[in-house]
Amino acid sequence: MSEPSFQVGIDIGGTFTDLILVNVATGEFTVGKILTSTGDPSEAVEEVLRDAVSRADVSPSEISTIVHGTTLVTNAVIERKGARTALLTTQGFRDSIEIGRENRYELYDLMLDQPRPLVPRHLRFDVPQRTLADGSTLQEVDKEYVARLAREFVDAGISAVAICFLHSFTNPDAERATRRIIHDFAPTVRVSISSDVVAELREFERASTTVVNVYVQARVEAYVRELQTRLARVGFAGHFFMMLSSGGIATPDTAVRFPVRLLESGPAAGALAAAAYGRAVGMTSLLSFDMGGTTAKLCVIDDGRPLIAHDFEVDRIYRFKKGSGLPVKVPVIEMIEIGTGGGSIARVDAMGLLKVGPESSGSLPGPVCYKRGGTQPTVTDADLVLGYLAPGYFLGGRMSLDLDAAREAIQSHIADKMRVSVIQAAWGIHQIANENMANAARVHALERGKDPSRLPLFAFGGAGPVHAFRIAKALGSPRMLAPYGAGVMSTVGFLSAPIAFDFVRSWRAQLQSMDWHHVNSLLGQLESEGMAVLVQSGVDSAAIVHDRQADMRFVGQGHEIRVPLPSGSLSAETRTVMEAEFQRVYRQLYERPGPPVAIEVINWRVTSRGPDPILSLQMPAMTGTNDGSALSALKGTRAAYFPETGDYGITAVYDRYLLFPGATFIGPAIVEERESTVIVGPGATCTIDGRHNLIVQIH
Amino acid sequence: MNSNLDLVAIEVLWNRLLSVANEQQVALMRTAFSTIVRESQDLACAVFDTRGNMIAQSLTGTPGHINPMATGVRHFLVAYPPETLLPGDVLITNDPWLTAGQMNDFTVLSPVFRDGTIVGYFANCCHAADVGGRILSAEAREVFEEGLRIPLTKLFEAGEPNRELFKIIRANVRTPDETIGDLYAQTSCNAVGARSLLQMMAEFNLTTIDPLADEILARSERAMREAIRALPNGHYHHEVWSDGFEEPLKLCVAVTIADEDLYIDFAGSSPQSQRGINVVMNYTHGYASFAIKAAITPEVPHNEGSFRPVHVSAPKGCILNCIEPAAVGSRHLVGHFLPGLIFAALAPAMPGRLIAGGADPIWMSIFRGMWKQPAQPFMLTVFQVGGTGARATKDGLNTTGFPSGVAGIPAEVIETLSPMVQHKRALRPDSGGPGMFRGGLGQTTELSYPTGAFSVSGMLDRTLFAAQGLEGGKPGALAGYSALGKSLRPKMVLQFNPQERITFSPPGGGGYGDPFTRDPAHVFDDVVNGYVSLDAARMEYGVVIRYLGVSGQLIRLPVHYQLDSAQTVALRALSREAVSHGRPTIQL
Repeated sequence: MSEPSFQVGIDIGGTFTDLILVNVATGEFTVGKILTSTGDPSEAVEEVLRDAVSRADVSPSEISTIVHGTTLVTNAVIERKGARTALLTTQGFRDSIEIGRENRYELYDLMLDQPRPLVPRHLRFDVPQRTLADGSTLQEVDKEYVARLAREFVDAGISAVAICFLHSFTNPDAERATRRIIHDFAPTVRVSISSDVVAELREFERASTTVVNVYVQARVEAYVRELQTRLARVGFAGHFFMMLSSGGIATPDTAVRFPVRLLESGPAAGALAAAAYGRAVGMTSLLSFDMGGTTAKLCVIDDGRPLIAHDFEVDRIYRFKKGSGLPVKVPVIEMIEIGTGGGSIARVDAMGLLKVGPESSGSLPGPVCYKRGGTQPTVTDADLVLGYLAPGYFLGGRMSLDLDAAREAIQSHIADKMRVSVIQAAWGIHQIANENMANAARVHALERGKDPSRLPLFAFGGAGPVHAFRIAKALGSPRMLAPYGAGVMSTVGFLSAPIAFDFVRSWRAQLQSMDWHHVNSLLGQLESEGMAVLVQSGVDSAAIVHDRQADMRFVGQGHEIRVPLPSGSLSAETRTVMEAEFQRVYRQLYERPGPPVAIEVINWRVTSRGPDPILSLQMPAMTGTNDGSALSALKGTRAAYFPETGDYGITAVYDRYLLFPGATFIGPAIVEERESTVIVGPGATCTIDGRHNLIVQIH
Repeated sequence: MNSNLDLVAIEVLWNRLLSVANEQQVALMRTAFSTIVRESQDLACAVFDTRGNMIAQSLTGTPGHINPMATGVRHFLVAYPPETLLPGDVLITNDPWLTAGQMNDFTVLSPVFRDGTIVGYFANCCHAADVGGRILSAEAREVFEEGLRIPLTKLFEAGEPNRELFKIIRANVRTPDETIGDLYAQTSCNAVGARSLLQMMAEFNLTTIDPLADEILARSERAMREAIRALPNGHYHHEVWSDGFEEPLKLCVAVTIADEDLYIDFAGSSPQSQRGINVVMNYTHGYASFAIKAAITPEVPHNEGSFRPVHVSAPKGCILNCIEPAAVGSRHLVGHFLPGLIFAALAPAMPGRLIAGGADPIWMSIFRGMWKQPAQPFMLTVFQVGGTGARATKDGLNTTGFPSGVAGIPAEVIETLSPMVQHKRALRPDSGGPGMFRGGLGQTTELSYPTGAFSVSGMLDRTLFAAQGLEGGKPGALAGYSALGKSLRPKMVLQFNPQERITFSPPGGGGYGDPFTRDPAHVFDDVVNGYVSLDAARMEYGVVIRYLGVSGQLIRLPVHYQLDSAQTVALRALSREAVSHGRPTIQL
């Protein structure tokens, strides 16, 4: 048997299941796309894999690695399709998960709703027990009560239990004792304890996270096991990994223990792909921008990796607004989602001003130009009227768009009300959609401590490259980059993820009085935990890297900033390095020096990861000849609107599949490929790089 | 239109300014020291044009801070005209009559310079953990007892801290690191806002934002006027009662809708109190204009223009327009009643669009004592809220603040920052006012200091007057405040022994519509989940539900209950008949 030399990435999305199969030695790849199977999603995975290996003439036994991501976990939460779950809390606190933060996420709306907890009140139980803030026990767990409860679980159809006791992140004994009793009396019931799932302060967020974990666990396990069975049946015998929301990958066993860490693993892959493409072309810091039909997602890539956040919300019920979802404290690739997409509806508001979104026409009825019953003008309708989309080449010509209907809708709903021309109205819709996204990106970058004007914009998704040029300008980005083949973007991301796992330990101490011996042993411990998990997953121990960071703040503040730690053993000497780095990052973020107050460390973090897979895709052989110019790719011209010229102008239209590396041209220009269109404004210089990426210089 | 800005440019720049104000708020929360700012968001942030008009404010925060901060900016500009300011200057005051009505609220203003000229200002206002004087309560008789008053003055001069002022503040407050740290945070966040404003001006090639401000204010004003015009002209009255300090207070409002102007007058309200619950006019204006915006134009951004058509007045010397040297420390306990009062007055003019009465004032309690070895003082501020009023189509929200936007504090944070132990934080069954839509539930919390003596200042209300229902909805439950089963006196600093448990029970919201028309299935859900008891289902809603399970059973699922539809119909009919015959209650 020859050395297995293929890798596979598989993404189950809401609509499509996508696959990429790559020959590691040659970089040749095969792409698969089929509709997601609704009953058992693993069915589509098997089908798309069988199809791809047969087309590529590869034996499944030659596949060394499969990496898989899924929206299954997110969907189970949104659709409330998890197990019947009970929550056990410290006596007196079963309502914490519903009382929540006690504030409104929107000040003025009298009709707003609060997110509904996954566990209704009648399944939440007060367990007599109490641990204090210092970890000492005020009251032992009432074992008899827990045993009675456990005996009732099975009859009541409760198959999942979350346990969240106060201060368990300091002393987990009571949670563990309670879990043992449940195992004794109800061995079939799944139990998640908060000190295992997320050992961090704040009971509401910790309980919410623990509930999500156990709520989806049975579904995830059944699905993963079924998938493993199917893959084995196909003949696959290599390593199988699940993508985590943090962008790392983990073995199925780890994934099943902590399914909450799989939330958002699909979008995570998109951001990873952006990071991988960026690394390949030497842009290690960038802003990834993915715009689809209903939303846009933005993610800061820093030093070749997406930024990671440790809090997140799932199932936001109010325009993606912070505070309107269920909090989940897990490491997650930090993305902001905005309700602006191709289907976002434009309207004139009470002040006579034009608004775009967040209401969306979705895919049904969709934009007016789709001719599926939509009557409200959308961003896609504006893009069509502006000449950015071709009525006859949408999705490579598989769908035609109705230009007249789009124009008529913009005329009657927008232009007439604002007393402007149709073209002005269409440009207004386009520009306001762009500004919505740029504003969100700017605040998001600031919250992460990044300056958006230093970050190239990396655009993908169906509508991303149509809008990216203007967003890049609004952000003051230096460059915009549109990769070749936006359709396979996220599956590429799966294969560019290192095997990685994050560890955090809360241990609070001031820099000036730090017990450095303890710090070094704590970091060493985290590193050996990371080493153990990774070696188990088959990573060569010599290739494992540990990134060490500290969350630091002025004593008395409530928010930390993350500062990289110097390498090697830490000591009173490295303290000045840490302090200087903290002051520098603080000042850069907040413009002013902090007050004359001591500095402390709250959390110590280690991310252990294997080597970045070296993935080099071989672009399909192109037809035509490379004469070093873009001229041979010119497929025609059409009238498109650019405000710099104040009117429609004859604009060059290029065929993306005929643009060879090295080709250069000047905007205005339109570059068409099957799943997307790149719009370039007047005067901007475009080049095609060695990896077929389209790069537009902005500044 | 006299500016050369087109409509799209206005929208784009306007959104950008809102985004800039949000960046300012993010920076404030991330650099703040006190939990009151960083956990509870008791703050406001905004950007102002060169004439001191507020043009954009950040998204969340405290309504009571927004307009008072805007008024404060006008006072700053009179005291410090532009020609007296240098780059790096930062101004400060906490004078209650000039800004937010209590001395804990510091307003900090920073001018933004571009090429040597001021192009705008950033201001923010937030609640300091402590300003000295008495522990914050309603006990003071004069404002001078309530802490250190800082006149309009410079906090930083050309980037250099005003060291003498910092020394004085540090020496006068119980929480020097937090109070000083927050002033640095307030300075930082203005600088972050300025950075983004200057970026915006460079990108769009603007040398001034004043014409843009004119457009924004004119459009907001017009939108507000149109919204007022859509309401029927007329005079609308209402009055409510608050616990007060020595005696209950009456709050009266007369709302006059006259074409496109709206007049709110509080004549008839109680005279100012001897104690610290008096409200300055700024604060009254803040909550009155917040109420109007939430009621009629929630989508129009809040700025100088949007409150021009809203005219607020109160007789000098009344509880809502107090004169010096009135004590004002707990003014929010009165001011937070105003939106509910105004909604109740306007309800007949806006059927179906307003909400029933809610818990209204946010509860703020301050715990003080000694801990640690060697002994040092601790001071802990805890916010709590009750339920909101029901809506015409939805139940009220459980334990959600309104009108304040301030958040609560987790038990684990309380217990990390102080020796206090929280024993309970639970929804209060049957506290939501019955109605076709039920009022939001209040909560019950208990705290003690197991190993030491401590004091509590419980600034809270509605122990005497419940939140009223609307359109036939019933009132929510009264608030409770007690220790060892005995009621405690609110708004004072009280001393307690080790282990004494203090119970705080913020009230429920009022119901909306006749409770006998509530869908029995909703009552059933409420019973299963313990929001409503079996008895209350029958008595208040006329819905007959039985528990069929075993008495000692811990897990009680919907299948263990039975809704008796026939008896429900009969009971409701019987009750209606009883009511129509003037019999107030019936025997069930």
